[in-house]
Parts: sequence; C-alpha cells; structure tokens
Amino acid sequence: MNLDWGIIWQYRWDLAHGVGITVALTVLTMLIAVPGGIAIMMLRQSRYRVLRGLGTAYVEFFRNVPLILLVYWAFYVLPILTDIQFSAFTTGLVALSLNVSAYNAETIRAGIASIRKGQLEAALAMGMSHSQAMRKVLIPQALRRILPVLASTWVSLFKDTSLVSVIAVGDLAHTALQIRSQTFRVLEMLTAMAAIYWALGYPQAKLVDWIHRKYGVTE
Amino acid sequence: MSASLKPTAPAERAGQQPTIAYDGVVKRFGSLTVLNGVSAEVYKGEVVCLIGPSGSGKSTLLRCTNGLETVDGGRVLFDGGVVPSDQELIRRVRQRMGMVFQNFELFPHMTALDNITVGPTTILGEKAASARERGLALLDKVGLRQKADAFPSALSGGQQQRVAIARALAMNPEVMLFDEPTSALDPETIGEVLNVMKRLADEGMTMLVVTHEMTFARRVADRVLVFDHGRIVEAGPPEQIFENPQQERTRDFLGHLGWNG
Ligand SMILES: Nc1ncnc2c1ncn2[C@@H]1O[C@H](COP(=O)(O)OP(=O)(O)OP(=O)(O)O)[C@@H](O)[C@H]1O
Ligand SMILES: [Mg+2]
Repeated sequence: MNLDWGIIWQYRWDLAHGVGITVALTVLTMLIAVPGGIAIMMLRQSRYRVLRGLGTAYVEFFRNVPLILLVYWAFYVLPILTDIQFSAFTTGLVALSLNVSAYNAETIRAGIASIRKGQLEAALAMGMSHSQAMRKVLIPQALRRILPVLASTWVSLFKDTSLVSVIAVGDLAHTALQIRSQTFRVLEMLTAMAAIYWALGYPQAKLVDWIHRKYGVTE
Repeated sequence: MSASLKPTAPAERAGQQPTIAYDGVVKRFGSLTVLNGVSAEVYKGEVVCLIGPSGSGKSTLLRCTNGLETVDGGRVLFDGGVVPSDQELIRRVRQRMGMVFQNFELFPHMTALDNITVGPTTILGEKAASARERGLALLDKVGLRQKADAFPSALSGGQQQRVAIARALAMNPEVMLFDEPTSALDPETIGEVLNVMKRLADEGMTMLVVTHEMTFARRVADRVLVFDHGRIVEAGPPEQIFENPQQERTRDFLGHLGWNG
C-alpha cells in the first residue's frame, strides 16, 4: 500500500479553516447554550404551570433526540418553519445550541439544587424577589459549582460538532471528508482528522481535569 | 444604659401599637403541631429573647414573622398589618426586617462589602457609591472595616456573623430577628457577636432574639418568652424569668441548663 502523507500538508490551509469552523461552532454554541440553559431552567421553576410544562417538555425532548436527527431536522424543517434560508453554519449552530441548552438546563438545575436552602432564605429575607435571588445569589454560585460539568460538556461538544458535517458545514470533519473523496486518500485523511481532533481535544480534557481539581465542590 | 429606663412591660404600653404581634399563631408540619396558639407582642425599641428547649418552635415563630413559613392559624401582624403570604407583598415587610441566621448564610461568592451592598443596590436601587460608603460605615460599626474585601471563607465564624449583622442593617430595618446567632460559633468568638448585638440594643433597635445564651438574655433582654412544645409557657422581664420563675416548666428548662439564678 502506498501512502502519501504529503496530501495533508498540501491541504493544510483547508484543514486549518475546518479547525477554525469547528472551534467557532464550539465557542458560539456554548455562548448561546449557557444563557439558554439558564433561561430554560428558570422556565422550569416558573410559578406558572404552563411555562413549567414548556420548560420540562423542552428538556425532555431535546435531550432525548439523537443530535444527528436534530441536525437534519434543523436543516430541512427550520427553513420551512421560519421561511428563512439559513446558512449551513447557522443551521448547525441552532441544532447544537438546542441540544446543549437542554443539557445545560439540567446541569444548572442540579447546581442550584446543591446550594443549601439557607442561601435562598437569606436572600429572600432581605426582601429580594425570587428572580433577584436567582440572579445575584444562586446562579453565580451554581455556575461556579458546575464549572467542571460545563467543561466536560464543552469537550463532548467539541467532538460532537463533527455531526454537523452531514449538512455540509465546513468544519474539520466535513473538510477532511471532502478532501478524502476528492483525493481518495482515505487512510491518510481519516488519520489526520483523528490526530487533529485528538491534538486539540486532549489539552482541553487536561484542562477539564485541572478545573475539576480546582473547582470541584469542597463544601 | 439600664433596662429599667425603657418602658417595657406591655401594661405600660397600653394604647401603643406593637411593632410585631402574634395572635394565636398555629403552625403545623404535617401532623406535627409546632406552634400551638402563640400570642405575644414586641414593641418598638424592645429586646425580646425567646428561650426554650430544642424543637419547641422558637425558630419557626421567627420564620413566621418574615414569611419564610406561612401560618396555619392565627395571625402575625407587623406595624399593624397582617404579614401577607403573597410573594410580592411580603417583600415590603421583609425589607423592613433584618434576619440573622445561625449559620450566617453570607454569600460565599461576594466579599464582605459586597454582601452588605447587594441588598441596597439590588432591592432598593441605591447607587453603588452610596451603598459602598454606607457599607464601609457598617463594617466599621461591627469592627471589620479592614475586612471589606475579604471573602467569607477567609473570615472566622464570629467575623462572618458580624458581617451578616451589618448586611441585615444595610437595609435600614425597623426590627432585627436573630435565630441563635452564636450557636455555631467557637466559644472565643461568641463575645464579639454578643457585644455587637448589645450595642444595637442600646441604640434602641427592636430585636427578637432566639438564644441559648442565658447571660445575654439576662443582661440585655427587656422581656423573655419561654417556649415549650409550641406554646409560650412564661413571659416576663429577665429578673422574673431567671430569678423568680413562676412556672414549673421554666424552672425545669433553666435547671437543665445548669442555671441557678
Ligand atoms: N420544614 C420543616 N418540616 C418539618 N418539620 C419541621 C420543619 N421545620 C421545623 N420542623 C419541626 O418543628 C419543630 C420545631 O422546630 P424549631 O426549629 O422551630 O425548633 P426550635 O425551638 O428552634 O429548636 P432549636 O433550639 O433546636 O433550634 C421541630 O420538631 C422540628 O423538627
Ligand atoms: Mg431553632
């Protein structure tokens, strides 16, 4: 079998561009899905039953639908629902954000539940409203506590962004697979793809371990 | 300042509206009746101490006062109005009552100063600069100005509780509720907290204090309410309660504590 590793060097700028898209997707998704998760968590704690039900339905739906299905769904259904033709990138971003928001909502809820009751009572006893207590007292503490979990979600998300390649978002996976089909260098491109994901993902995983050690709940 | 200078006995207060009034308050948790018809008044400027055995309902009464618990019977009145159970209306009442907890409950992600200013800025819409200035003055008052930028985890228990008192005072409350403020403290830091409370009492703050510190109650209280099984079994000035208790239950309770007049 003759291998041509030069192909990777030859396509380095395309691959680098793919990496850029993958990183951008990860960062933007998380930027949307943390506030998104908070919003959905608040919805689930609303005093109105309809809103609570809506929040629960959201979480249960988007957590339990395979992400790839969600990606296809966003690709085919979103333009019909909204009458707007989104770019592949935006479509992928929407699908990922919908999914990760659902996970984050649950994570944040667990984080808030782990804060002892006296903190909420202290905030309420001062005269804060429930939402002021959430904003000033509970959510900041919860975010600190769940930082390790959010970091793990981040690392999974980084890898899961590869799923949006099915709708031709020019991320790393899609780029590598494109090059593969143009050049028929299957082994080289898959290896390169794995190596790049690993080289980027491994330091992140190490960072997560460090965050776990530093911010793991000590109380 | 001598306690006798204050008009304290309810009889002398005839015609004056109590700041807090409990009128046959009943509270149940499931089948357990925790408050079984509690009636009492707290007048402006009074220091009232609640004592009694563990589980007798002292904390619950305090928590019914600012609506952290709702009552199942009777009424709690503040400044002549029934303490509402509506979450929006109750906020007005809570802003006028400070509460100090056994476990301090300082916000661990904020500095001492931020703990104090967060209420005024968030709830009252006070400007940050003015809240900060008042916060520093309050820290001064509890002897902790140099700890303004310290996080709670870097403070001793006694220091945390003093910050918690300053935090409550920052809302300019008309009443302060204390639930065993020194029970979680190391013996050597209890004194500094009690001193702050004593000074507050001397300044005329209306205070309702659940405590196991009998010396404090004896020295600072205008009146002492003795709780047992969800009822007030005896109420009176500390001289009566500690030197000449009228009720068997009071004598029993004080006897268990090793108090001998
Ligand atoms: N949220 C609750 N749910 C069920 N039972 C409760 C609850 N809060 C208090 N109780 C019960 O009510 C009773 C009175 O409690 P409370 O805390 O008022 O007593 P206390 O006089 O403050 O006692 P202590 O001196 O131990 O603090 C206890 O039997 C307690 O177990
Ligand atoms: Mg108690």
